[in-house]
Amino acid sequence: MESNKKYWKGLEELKNTPAFVENNKNEFAEPLPIEDVLSEAGLSTVTPRRDFLKALGFGLGAVTLAACQTTPVHKSIPYLIRPEEVVPGIPNYYVSTFKGQSVLVKTVVGRPIKIEVNPNAGIFSTGTDAQAQASVLDLYDVSKLKAPLLKKAETTWSKLDEFVKGELNKAQASGKKIRIVSSSLNSPSAKAVVADFAVKYPTTKHVQYDAVSYTGIIKANENSFGKAVLPKYNFDKADLIVSFAADFLGTWISGEEFTAQYVSNRNHKSLEKGKMSRHFQFETGMSLTGTNADSRIPIKLSEEGPALITLYNAITGSNLAGGTLGNNTNADKALKLVAKELLQNKGKSLVVSGSNDVSTQTLVNAINVAIGSYGTTIDLDNSNKRYEGNDAEFAELINEMNRGEVAAVFFLNSNPVYDATNSKAFTDALAKVALKVSFSDRVDETSDLCDAVAITPNYLESWGDANTYEGFYSIVQPTINPVFNSRQAEQSLLIWSDGAVQDYYKYVRNNWEATVLPAAGKTWNDVLQSGVVTLTAKPAGAYTFALSLDAVATSIANSSKALAKGNGKDTLELHVYESIPMRDGKHANNAFLQELPDPVSKVTWDNYLAISPKQAEASGYKEFDVVTIKDEKGTSIDLPVLIQPGQAMGTASVALGYGRTKVGKAGNNVGQNAFPFVSFNNGTLKYATVVKLSGTGRTDELAQTQTHYSFEGRNIIREASLKDYLKDPAAGSGNHHKHKVYDLWTTDKYEKLGNDWVMAIDLNACTGCGSCIVACNVENNIPVVGKDEVRRRREMHWLRIDRYYSFNDEKTGENVTEEKEIAHMSNLDNVSVVHQPMLCQHCDHAPCETVCPVLATVHSSDGLNHMAYNRCVGTRYCANNCPYKVRRFNWFNYWNDSRFDNYLNNEFTQLVLNPDVTTRSRGVMEKCSMCIQRIQAGKLTAKMEKRALKDGDIKMACQQACSANAIIFGDKNDPNSEVSKLLRSERTYYVLEEINVQPGIGYMTKIRNIDSETKEVHA
Amino acid sequence: MSGHNESILREPLITGKNITYAQITDDILLPVENKPNRAWWIGFIIALCGATLWVVAVSYTFWFGIGSWGLNKTVGWAWDITGFVWWVGIGHAGTLISAVLLLFRQNWRNSINRSAEAMTIFAVICAATYVVSHMGRPWLAYWVLPLPNQFGSLWVNFNSPLVWDMFAISTYFSVSLLFWYTGLLPDIATIRDRAVGMRKKVYTVLSFGWAGNVKTWQRFEAVSLILAGISTPLVLSVHTIVSMDFATSVIPGWHTTIFPPYFVAGAIFSGFAMVLTLLLVARKVLGLENYITMFHIESMNKIIILTGSIVGVAYLTEFFIAWYSGSEYEQYAFINRSTGPYWWAYWMMMTCNVISPQLLWFKKIRTSIAATWILSIVVNIGMWFERFVIIVTSLHRDYLPSSWAMFYPTWVDVSVFVGSIGVFFTLFLLFLRVLPSIAIAEVKLLLKSASEQSKMELIKDGHLDKEQVAEYIESLDKFDSVKQEEYAKI
Repeated sequence: MESNKKYWKGLEELKNTPAFVENNKNEFAEPLPIEDVLSEAGLSTVTPRRDFLKALGFGLGAVTLAACQTTPVHKSIPYLIRPEEVVPGIPNYYVSTFKGQSVLVKTVVGRPIKIEVNPNAGIFSTGTDAQAQASVLDLYDVSKLKAPLLKKAETTWSKLDEFVKGELNKAQASGKKIRIVSSSLNSPSAKAVVADFAVKYPTTKHVQYDAVSYTGIIKANENSFGKAVLPKYNFDKADLIVSFAADFLGTWISGEEFTAQYVSNRNHKSLEKGKMSRHFQFETGMSLTGTNADSRIPIKLSEEGPALITLYNAITGSNLAGGTLGNNTNADKALKLVAKELLQNKGKSLVVSGSNDVSTQTLVNAINVAIGSYGTTIDLDNSNKRYEGNDAEFAELINEMNRGEVAAVFFLNSNPVYDATNSKAFTDALAKVALKVSFSDRVDETSDLCDAVAITPNYLESWGDANTYEGFYSIVQPTINPVFNSRQAEQSLLIWSDGAVQDYYKYVRNNWEATVLPAAGKTWNDVLQSGVVTLTAKPAGAYTFALSLDAVATSIANSSKALAKGNGKDTLELHVYESIPMRDGKHANNAFLQELPDPVSKVTWDNYLAISPKQAEASGYKEFDVVTIKDEKGTSIDLPVLIQPGQAMGTASVALGYGRTKVGKAGNNVGQNAFPFVSFNNGTLKYATVVKLSGTGRTDELAQTQTHYSFEGRNIIREASLKDYLKDPAAGSGNHHKHKVYDLWTTDKYEKLGNDWVMAIDLNACTGCGSCIVACNVENNIPVVGKDEVRRRREMHWLRIDRYYSFNDEKTGENVTEEKEIAHMSNLDNVSVVHQPMLCQHCDHAPCETVCPVLATVHSSDGLNHMAYNRCVGTRYCANNCPYKVRRFNWFNYWNDSRFDNYLNNEFTQLVLNPDVTTRSRGVMEKCSMCIQRIQAGKLTAKMEKRALKDGDIKMACQQACSANAIIFGDKNDPNSEVSKLLRSERTYYVLEEINVQPGIGYMTKIRNIDSETKEVHA
Repeated sequence: MSGHNESILREPLITGKNITYAQITDDILLPVENKPNRAWWIGFIIALCGATLWVVAVSYTFWFGIGSWGLNKTVGWAWDITGFVWWVGIGHAGTLISAVLLLFRQNWRNSINRSAEAMTIFAVICAATYVVSHMGRPWLAYWVLPLPNQFGSLWVNFNSPLVWDMFAISTYFSVSLLFWYTGLLPDIATIRDRAVGMRKKVYTVLSFGWAGNVKTWQRFEAVSLILAGISTPLVLSVHTIVSMDFATSVIPGWHTTIFPPYFVAGAIFSGFAMVLTLLLVARKVLGLENYITMFHIESMNKIIILTGSIVGVAYLTEFFIAWYSGSEYEQYAFINRSTGPYWWAYWMMMTCNVISPQLLWFKKIRTSIAATWILSIVVNIGMWFERFVIIVTSLHRDYLPSSWAMFYPTWVDVSVFVGSIGVFFTLFLLFLRVLPSIAIAEVKLLLKSASEQSKMELIKDGHLDKEQVAEYIESLDKFDSVKQEEYAKI
């Protein structure tokens, strides 16, 4: 039914007045003034036209401006739900362990960016080595695999597991052997996993071998004392240290830890008590340890054995044969002096040898027993578990594989195709193995020949543990989820052995809860926080030596005879050694390490043949001449010559760890592989051989960060002998003869309120290891520039370590430091070395500040020299006018230029950057900022906690990494701060203080424990 | 300025017979009003190639960064600032000739001031390109100017010698340009009056409506004098300030109070050498032997001996002071200069700047065009090495021996420098084609009083001392533009 209802909108409609009817025709009730506007008058008014033009002009301009720039699109994905513990800008710290060193990992918004020391870690709480500092970069290495490989094709874990298990079952059915090859495994849980695996597959054996081996010491201890262990060495308890080619401050066993021990007897605190250890070093090549020795005597490799026999005879009065040193009279005299002093310091001295020969180490044991080292400076009862490799077992493995007895082989943290002495023999033998599995993060030399690559995460993504010393356990905990589809090797082994617990995290935890935690009375959470568990150490016992040494002496004499074939010209004794930056080559793709200058030669990105200046003359080679080095087996490599003062005549040295071919962009084909020169005889690896040199006629300039080696008698280096220091603590510091300082602004002094940030550097503590350089690089996003740029002297390091040689004249006994005079010296063997960390001195009268035309570098009220990168136009005037030459210019856009593709030219690796430090663009000057971001963070923390800053609240990155505690940072305005006290020391001087730039970094004199007797040795 | 007869003992400033005002105008405007000859084209093409090289090298630097140069952490300046100081130095002769010699009423300047001033301007342009191109971020070069800005309260650092430099160079450039252009006005008007078509229009605009009436000439003279007064202190100040880039630093070998006078003398030395290099060729190619005479050449050579000797004394003084100071860094810096790895650069500088100019004591040599031309080039090679020695050998081994390094130039370093010479010559050759290379109006002033023909008339008048006449005639021996046989008749 249609509704008849009509709704009216208003009274007007109801009434339907004529006016309403009329209006209702129109859309709008009231007329719009359109007609008025469009009328002649409206159009002709001035205003609308001008308004229109204005609007048009503005619109056009605005649109044009807006269209000028394409706004870059940055995709960012916010946390949907922010994890409770992650606050942007506030770092989190987690304890973990790198190669047996307990460390603290700094993470920012979920990504690890810096390795710091773990203050709870006892022996590791003073510092870390350069490898640990650089290791964070390995996490972000683009050369890593993203998924496991099966027959060189990417696969899934289930397919890989299926394949490996199938092959393992076949192997087991055939009854053939299964071998797990690893470098020394110091993780108790990993060892338990391997043991579990061996239960499931009973033919399994775990073969441990180290590219740089300590089997000699372990075997010698087994022979001498029935304990097949590496002992714990206590350098801190030794007043007299005699080292025969052991680079114990650098690469020998536990460098960062020995550095801390060694320096505790030589640093400022010790000197104030009037005490300083004495250190003799007999060695072939110039090692970091050799550069720190009070007295260093170059000996040939073939003289090492006879020298030890001579020493033994001199100490014990025995008459072992073979102790003739030929014409090395200096060594002879030195050994007599050393023997005398060792006998005077019984129980307070230590003799170590870097040799891997069982006989040599047995003789060293005999010497140490004779001087009462066991129980004091050597502790056999709390052994060092970092190295447990057995060279003979590895050699046997090759035989087993050759005989076709091995059905499956697993490589865990080992790369024998690269670092075995005879890579060809190993490769050939490996081909006879049915199942080859590599646990590696990349296709390295060995993985390339394997059927399966079960990719492993970085330690920063892993669970695990370490047992560095007997009774000293530390935890490895992940700081980030695995970035790629990787799986820990332990977990793979658990899965393949069908273990009851297949989650390695649970496995580690169970293992700890069953063994370590009850013994220490701690909980799992305690360990995750503190990182370490230390059980009560066993008392270190004294040991007696009962073996007859005749056979040992004969063996030593034979080995040295075999080496003594040099003719002093083109046939030389070759020493292959681990270099401090590259070590055994496992981290060769780490650009920070490649660019870390060798502490002695200052060479980056290469290895080289080191020969002494006089040897170079005798052999007719100049620096950088490329020579062919060929040994008796026919192995040959071509390397450039480096002239190394202090290298023994008749010898040459080549570093291991270079010449990787399958490691990644940065590390491939850097230098040459020297592992083929290592030989296996008498049951251990030998790092000495005889080689013949021949010129190639080519030259290859090495990339060195320092090329001038002498300090030209300038008082930038100030040193004194211990004797003089004891008489007068200011000896050599120049503090008795200060010049009067004149100042133009005497009436207008700034009052320095608040903080005044300064530094003190103890030259007697710094060993020159270079760990601080890497720490600084990582902390401050310092670009790596590559070999060619270093060659052009453009490395960007904010902190460098200057290394100067001086030579003692055998006739006058004077220290010769000037290049011109050195050129006339006939004997360059007696070289002294000093390491001087050099960084921005934050001068109060900074010459860089006055010359900058745009005020890009200015002084802060708290004593810092600031650098405003954004203001810098790049005139480089400041760098020219810097007397310390510590300013670094960004010659190119190193982090975003395909020509410098060392590491940072991809988004993944850029995640390593510290977000608190801005990256610098091309054309901008930069330099040490005194870790200003750390100062700010420290100040803010104190402010939030409503307290004053305490001394030690803020630590520089370099200071933190320094195992020797050679760098102390702090507030000069606080008279009780450590740095103030050190700067008030009579040893403190300022480099170039005479030009009155008023540097903020004080250096403390180098003290050498030398006297007329040590001088006599070289006369 | 004339009307009086000049002493017969003075050598003529214009030679030749039957020279009229019209003749002068015709002679000087010959290259401007005619198609260029072959020699010009050859020179121009070579110069243009150089200028192109400069564009390529500088663009390469801008694109890739200063790293394309051979600089390093120790040697932050090398060919760039060497080139900068070298060009600024060369620029000095122009102002000295136009301003100082004007104030001293040395009329012989009238023949050479125009080219010398043009050379100054082009040299300063070359120097200014270095100021910008040596910067790490050249697109921010304007930050060294004290401009009001919105970067906060950022201002330039008035303590920095580079800021002083910026003021000195820009003042110098603007005053020189003004002085040069003011001097050009009557000559441009001359061209305008003789030109037709498009050229006439262009020169009409350029001549600023020069009418040539007495009032204009009077004001012209007044302005010239005022500008000369303003320019004179600049001759001393510019290179003094440039020298302060080094003198106010702390680097041994730079930190030297002798630098300001030594740099100014060196600048005049190199500037006159460059004027000679250019004009000896120009007078031959453009046929201007009558206006740029042996007298001019010899006078400039005398200035070169003087300033070269001042520079030589400065070099020796530096050594003495280094020894006398007892500062080991200073002593080493100087021993290193003469015997270190860059000894060759030092001895190159010594030979070219101190030893070889002494040859000019011999009249035969200083009046020989070939010898003079070669020596003028040698001097500028020496002056380039002087700056190289000061900059590179001081920096490469300063305080801490650990940072000692060598500097090796790259192809870009060399190309920017060689290219800047190309830019300079391109500009100079274009200048020769469009503007009179000799100040026409000013040379005309000399015709009545100081020309050979006016003196000839005086001699013919016969009221002169015979001995003086004989001496005058003898002095004309060296002039290559004077025919001696005509005097034999008298």
